[in-house]
Amino acid sequence: TAGNKILHFGACRVSMSMTEIRAGFTAIKANIQARDPIRSLSILSHPHSLHKVNSSDRCCMTHHLFKFYVDKVFKHCKTEDSYVNRKISSIANSFLSMKRKLGQCHEQNQCVCGQESTEKFKQILANYEGLNVTSAAMKSLGELDILLDWME
Amino acid sequence: SGELYCSLLNPRNVRFESINMKNVLHWSAPEGTGNGVLYKVKYSVYGVGKWIRKTECRNINRTWCDLSSETSDHEEQYYASVRAFLNGMFSDWVETTRFNPLTDTKIDPPMVSVSSTDKSISIVLTAPEKWKRSPEEESISLLQVYPGLQYNVSVLNKKTKKRWFFSISNHTLVVPWLEPETAYCVSAQIHVTTPILDSGFSKEYCIATLKDK
Repeated sequence: TAGNKILHFGACRVSMSMTEIRAGFTAIKANIQARDPIRSLSILSHPHSLHKVNSSDRCCMTHHLFKFYVDKVFKHCKTEDSYVNRKISSIANSFLSMKRKLGQCHEQNQCVCGQESTEKFKQILANYEGLNVTSAAMKSLGELDILLDWME
Repeated sequence: SGELYCSLLNPRNVRFESINMKNVLHWSAPEGTGNGVLYKVKYSVYGVGKWIRKTECRNINRTWCDLSSETSDHEEQYYASVRAFLNGMFSDWVETTRFNPLTDTKIDPPMVSVSSTDKSISIVLTAPEKWKRSPEEESISLLQVYPGLQYNVSVLNKKTKKRWFFSISNHTLVVPWLEPETAYCVSAQIHVTTPILDSGFSKEYCIATLKDK
């Protein structure tokens, strides 16, 4: 579809609808981030920045993060605004299909998990579990641009 | 007995205005206040949360504050906040929304230079540079910040009013098979695919092709 982009993760090549996801998130970014009053904690960017993940671990980290968003974030992000909810479910569907594609790479051993990605992802889960589920999910959703900026 | 509590109305429309990652905080004065209102500014890195006072913007009467230096790491995101005070009264701190320099900046059009032969024109495009603290500091082209940066180029035949559009990733373009001794005008725009960012079109640069050899 328009705006699909082939992202390379070592031997793994995955086509992703980045423009569609970006547009969907941009439309609800202010609304979602306004629901997150906690300035002093980030799920994805502190204390370890995603930008410091070395390239050999990119595929595994991305796979972890897609699973994280599909399993722990989108389902806890219901709002009272149907427009926002529609945008969230559209992004969730895109993530679901990308998670499957990366899963295939994972099964074919093209998406190896090193020490670094394992440690970093543990930190992300710890950040997430440091908040109640709804706050953690909404904060994670509000940080989607951090993930997209890093992936691209 | 109730304590008389005088507070000032809040500054309004507190937001970042950013061009080529020159990130300036702007706001409007509290409603109904004339001259004499002063302001102070603080900022924080999202995820760190510690508010830091911007000393150069303490007790200022203008309604902007340049935070480019403090927000120059475009892999981070930021908040900024403003408080107004007047004759011992002061407002609440009013915050911006979360500011992401990478997606929330505007990009200037590219620089365009053109040259011609009898049947072609050559166009060289230069992307703007990211804001930097001083002229001595190393320049970073926005091309390095946005690897997905492309150029949309418009070429107009002034005689026939025929216009061509090109979309290129390279920064040079040669337009062949043109008419000799004819004026052509070129304008260009930057288009970033991810995140989605577009500059305006540059002004037109016109040049005439040479006499046929």
